[in-house]
Amino acid sequence: MSATDFKDGLIKEIPNLRAFAASLSGSMQLADDLVQDTLLKAWGNSEKFEPGTSLRAWLFTILRNTYYSLYRKRGREVQDSEGTYAERMATHGNQESHLDLADFRKALAKLPEEQREVLIMVGATGLSYEETAEICGVAIGTIKSRVNRARTKLAELLSIGSLDDLGPDRHSAAAIQKVASEVAGT
Amino acid sequence: MNNVDLAMAATDAGGDPDGEVTLDPKVQESIGRSLRAHYDDIVNSPVPDKFLVLLAQLEATEHRAAGASNDERN
Repeated sequence: MSATDFKDGLIKEIPNLRAFAASLSGSMQLADDLVQDTLLKAWGNSEKFEPGTSLRAWLFTILRNTYYSLYRKRGREVQDSEGTYAERMATHGNQESHLDLADFRKALAKLPEEQREVLIMVGATGLSYEETAEICGVAIGTIKSRVNRARTKLAELLSIGSLDDLGPDRHSAAAIQKVASEVAGT
Repeated sequence: MNNVDLAMAATDAGGDPDGEVTLDPKVQESIGRSLRAHYDDIVNSPVPDKFLVLLAQLEATEHRAAGASNDERN
């Protein structure tokens, strides 16, 4: 693979890298720093990429490792001091989803990282369960379990607003039913 | 229902090994749509020029390095 082909491949993946980085870090500014680091590392290690395999999966692995080794703490500090990108980022485009995008992002930011990252990878990026498992270095069953927990928790957060409002029965059927009836009513 | 929703539904149909709550399919669909709305919103936003500049610089540096090593051989 020529340097130009590799560069073109990286350019195509930048939008996905930004979206994944923002989902991980909770900040668009941190996301762009993270994407820049990822591109530099990818360029410096381009000989390790095997042509024919998924460039996206390879880049996500680099980005994720970079995030957990260097950015995780910064992400928390930014979220603490400035609020999450979810609350600050201007949204554009039409919103066909019945759930308000800003509300959804706030709820997403409250998920534990290990659940959030797999939910994004499996649910939005086009990566397979197998690729996601490989990127995270865990078994496919673990990915499936995390996705299930993530969706259950999101349903709770979106129906009640805050975990603090939840009673001891976190999996309350009433809470789930509330979301279901809202969906049905839309 | 698209492939992602089908994949998620199939996962649930496979049972829940940890005895977790299985969500109503409509709730799952709604979450799936919101997830993609969140992600696609960022994917479709303009890419900062600095990334393209950075990659162009890296490529130019590599070309110069390749040229230099060719000169040495010649």
